[in-house]
Amino acid sequence: MIAQSSFTPASPLAAAIFLLTIGLVIARPWRLTEAYAALLGAAAMVLAGLVSPNGAVSDVAGNWNVLLFFVGLTGAAAVAERSGLFEALAGTSARLSGGSPRRLLAAVVAAGAIVAALLSNDAAALVLTPVVYVLVARFGLSPLPFVLACTFVADAASIALPVSNPVNVIVSDRLGVSAASLILVLLPAAVASVFALLGCLFLIYRRQLPARAPLVPAANSWASWSGVPRRLMAAFGVAVGAFAVASAFNVPLGPTMAAVWLLLLGIEWTNRRPDRPLDGIGWSLLIFVASMGVLVDGLSSAGITAWLAQIVLGQVRDSPAAVMVVTAFAAAVGSNLVNNLPAAFVFADAVHGAGLSAASAHAAAIGTIIGADLGPNLTPVGSVATLLWFVLLRQRGLEVSTWSYIRVGLIVTPVTILAALGVALLLGVPR
Amino acid sequence: MSVPRRLLVALAGAEDSALPEQVARVVGPGGPAVEVTLLHVEETGPRELATYHQAVRRGYWPLPRKDAIEHRLANADDEAAAALLTVWHERFAAAMPGIEIAHLVARGRPEQEIVTAAGRLHADAIILCARPRTGPTEPGPRSVGHVARFVIDHSPTPVLLIRVSS
Repeated sequence: MIAQSSFTPASPLAAAIFLLTIGLVIARPWRLTEAYAALLGAAAMVLAGLVSPNGAVSDVAGNWNVLLFFVGLTGAAAVAERSGLFEALAGTSARLSGGSPRRLLAAVVAAGAIVAALLSNDAAALVLTPVVYVLVARFGLSPLPFVLACTFVADAASIALPVSNPVNVIVSDRLGVSAASLILVLLPAAVASVFALLGCLFLIYRRQLPARAPLVPAANSWASWSGVPRRLMAAFGVAVGAFAVASAFNVPLGPTMAAVWLLLLGIEWTNRRPDRPLDGIGWSLLIFVASMGVLVDGLSSAGITAWLAQIVLGQVRDSPAAVMVVTAFAAAVGSNLVNNLPAAFVFADAVHGAGLSAASAHAAAIGTIIGADLGPNLTPVGSVATLLWFVLLRQRGLEVSTWSYIRVGLIVTPVTILAALGVALLLGVPR
Repeated sequence: MSVPRRLLVALAGAEDSALPEQVARVVGPGGPAVEVTLLHVEETGPRELATYHQAVRRGYWPLPRKDAIEHRLANADDEAAAALLTVWHERFAAAMPGIEIAHLVARGRPEQEIVTAAGRLHADAIILCARPRTGPTEPGPRSVGHVARFVIDHSPTPVLLIRVSS
């Protein structure tokens, strides 16, 4: 039992700095972005002597794989956006629907799942949603069910592959779990959670989807794949193959993703020189992740993550199945209190320091990924942070009918988590 | 009959195409004494969800330019509204020959905008479907959608609730 001895005299200070930083990330006073709020917190950890300057440098350097990965991922998503890939995918969904709103919803969910799995949940939500909105409007349909479908499938499908969600890379990198062993469990779990989501959406919107779309745009009016440069399409195929090989041989994902981005950018360049090729790289994500690494190191050295591990894993540490379930629900709750990236960082560190057996650590990685990826949709505004933002938006007179999506999140989140957990327990726990 | 009857027809767009015949059966076959204003309300909630919500929720990700997206979505809504009203214009003109037809597009929450428009236009009646999105529904519990319920509750003028029977 390490619970009693894990706290140090520095614990209250470390906890205060972390909570204050999360507070700044949530409230964003003085137009402070979350990246700089996290940077301030990391600086405070160093100034307070909780993390040595050398320690901070090695924390940042230790995250090289994750940081390189994010540069590559956001860059690749930007190339995909510029290439018209999203419009072509939406056009295919429109053609497949044949004017039936139900089939259109299923096609949108499928398109969102593919984008989320290959280019991350955030790319699916931020880039695909407006494209889908325009598509649905042209059918004369109310866009609400379809916009919500994009939001939810972005996260439901994001447990599929390491590239599908920043959380996945953070967790697998910190816990040293191989990408291949995760994919074997989480890809089928993602399929289950996407189908569970689709079932929920059909059930929730059974009275709001008409039998036929009011407008039937001409089939040839949709964007087609011929608009996407051939060589770029081939490069996307090569990229997916490269990832499969890299995962199978345990090549670090950061350099692989960066190489994929450079390949895509090079091929885009041969077609038509992009105006601002570095636009769309998530620099603020890099600052946030690097700072989070230092912040969590401060928490860890003050014994707080060990205390958290004791609370969460204390009774169940020897049973992988129980570890998976407990970490999934704890990470889901944590993601709704703070944002899911900080929650994933803290959980990964807590599990890492708990000295679990290999099987339990593997189960904990899967559980944390499921909880932190799918959990934020419970209050579909994502976390307390976004909930507060919504309050602000409403005060400024923007009409946001919050209930229409809170209702959906309350149903979808538990169902998708249970579906994913069920499959993960079947496939991911040695028996 | 000297004063034309002003009818405000609220259209979500997905109503059954037999709606104009139903209206003609109740208010008469048409003629110049009837003025019909076709109203379509663009819902702004989904647009906010697609732009603000995503941007706020995924703040770490490099954001596409929000104003550019909003502009794109608003254009799509305007085009859809115009196309919908054109389709319904033809249907009403066929079912009620000789009537005057005007188009009106509003933005906001449909239930509120319908009531507001009826007051502003001094409409003699509001006409709307009980459950516009799902088409024909038998009378019974929950057969009236939330928009129609709100309009019945708050309308300053008589409301004609249409159920298209299949």
